[in-house]
Amino acid sequence: MNMKKLLLMVMLALPVAATAQQHKQKTKKANVETSEWKYEIAPVSVGTQGNVVVAVWSDSAAPVVAAEQAKKNAVHGVIFKGIPSNGSVPGKRPLVQDSAAEQEHAGYFDSFFADGGAYMRFVTLTGNERDVTKIDKRRYRVGAVVVVNYDNLRRELENQGIVKKLGSGF
Amino acid sequence: MKRLILGAVISLAAITCFGQAKKPTLMVVPSDAWCTKHGYVKTFDNQGVAERYPDYQRALQEDTDLLLVISKLGEMMADRGFPLKDLESAMRSVRNDAAEDAVTLSKEEGDVLAETPLEALKRTAKADIILQLTWTVNKTGPKQSVTFNLRGLDSYTDKQVAAASGTGAPSFSAELPVLLEESVLAHIDNFNNQLQSHFDDLFENGREVKLTCRRWSGSDVDFESEFDGEELGFLIEDWVAENTVHGRFSTADATENRMVFEQVRIPLEGANGRAVDTRQWANGLRRHLREAYNIDAKLDTKGLGEAIITIGGK
Repeated sequence: MNMKKLLLMVMLALPVAATAQQHKQKTKKANVETSEWKYEIAPVSVGTQGNVVVAVWSDSAAPVVAAEQAKKNAVHGVIFKGIPSNGSVPGKRPLVQDSAAEQEHAGYFDSFFADGGAYMRFVTLTGNERDVTKIDKRRYRVGAVVVVNYDNLRRELENQGIVKKLGSGF
Repeated sequence: MKRLILGAVISLAAITCFGQAKKPTLMVVPSDAWCTKHGYVKTFDNQGVAERYPDYQRALQEDTDLLLVISKLGEMMADRGFPLKDLESAMRSVRNDAAEDAVTLSKEEGDVLAETPLEALKRTAKADIILQLTWTVNKTGPKQSVTFNLRGLDSYTDKQVAAASGTGAPSFSAELPVLLEESVLAHIDNFNNQLQSHFDDLFENGREVKLTCRRWSGSDVDFESEFDGEELGFLIEDWVAENTVHGRFSTADATENRMVFEQVRIPLEGANGRAVDTRQWANGLRRHLREAYNIDAKLDTKGLGEAIITIGGK
C-alpha cells in the first residue's frame, strides 16, 4: 500500500519537476540571448512625468519567458541605445552617451541586469497581451509594452557616477 | 603645527567657496512671436516708426497656460538641479529697485542716487541662458494638437545652445493644458541633453564672449601707436591670445580706432580659483594697458557677454 502511494506521488511529482526544470533551462537560455541585446525598441506614448512608455521586440526561442526579458531589454535600450522618434512622440538619446561605459562598468551592469537585479526597480510591464510572431522554426519575436521610470533610472546612474549630473562642475 | 592646520583648513574652505565656476542662471521667457500672436505687446513711437515689444507683465498676469508651462518647466529643471529664475519676480524686482532708487536720498545733502541714462537703460531682468518658449495650437476638424518650440539662447553670444521642438499627437478630447504639459514632458529631456553638451563645451573651451576696443577722439594713442617696436593693436591681440582658453579668439576688425574680437573663449575660473565673468576678464586687459603702457582706459559691458574698452581716459 505504502509502495503504491509512493509510486503515485513520484509519478505526480515528476512532470512538475520536469516542467520546472524546463522553465529554468528556458530562462537560462533566454538570459544568454538577452545578454546579446538583440531587440528593437520604439516609443509608444509620452507617458506620465518621469516615465517613458516603449514597445520592445525581443527574439527568443521561448515566448513564455520572453516577456520578462523584454523588461531587461527596455531598460538596456533606454540606457545604451536610446529611443528613436516615432512621429508625434520625440525620441530620447541614450542616458549613457559614452560607448565604452558599458565595458568600464561591466561589474555594475552585470549585477544590475541579473535575474531579480536592480533593473526591476525601474520597469513595469503593462497588461498581459504580448505580440508573438514566429520568425523561423525555433524562434519567436515577442513584443511587449513596457513603462520605464526614466528619471529614477537617470538618478541611479548619476549616483553611481556613470552619468554626469546636469551642470556638474558648476 | 596649529597654525599649519589652521592655514590648511582656511585654504580648503576658500577652495570650496570660490573654486567653482559660476552656475549659469536660466529664465523662461515667452518668444516675441508668441507675445505678438496673443496680443501681449506694447507699441512705442521710435522717431516716427511704430515699434512693438513684448509685454511680459501682462502676458504673465493674464495667460494661465503660459504660467502652467513656465511652472512645469521650472519644476522639471529644479529636479535637475537648475531652479529657474522667475521672469515675473525678476521684473518685479527691477521695478521695485527703480522705485526705491527714485526716493533714496543721502542723509546730509539730500542727494539723489547717481545714474547715467545708459545705466537706466541697462536695468532689465537678466539670465545667462534664456529659455525662449513658443507654442501654437493646431486644429484639424475636432482634433487639436500642440506644436511646441523651446530654444535655449546664450545671453553672452545670442547663440542658440539648445532646442527642442515638435508637434504632439492630435487629440479629440484632451484639453490644451494637458497637451501643453505633455509637450513639456516630451521635450525637456532632449533639451537638457543639449544643454549638458553646451556646459561640457564651456568647461572644455571656456565661455564665449566679445571684446571691443575703441579710443576717445581726444586720445594721443591709437591702435597703431608703437610701444617697444610693436603696434598697440598687436600687443592687445597678444594679451587676448595669452588670456583665452587654448588661445581661441578671432579678430573681426582692426583699425587705428577700433578693434573687435569675436568668439573669445574666456576661462570659467581665474588663477585664484574664483569664477570669472566678462567684466572681470576684460578688467585684466584694462590693468595691463595701464601698467605696461601707461594707457588709461574705460571699461564698459554690454549685456553679459560683451566688454568694451575705450582707451585714452575714463
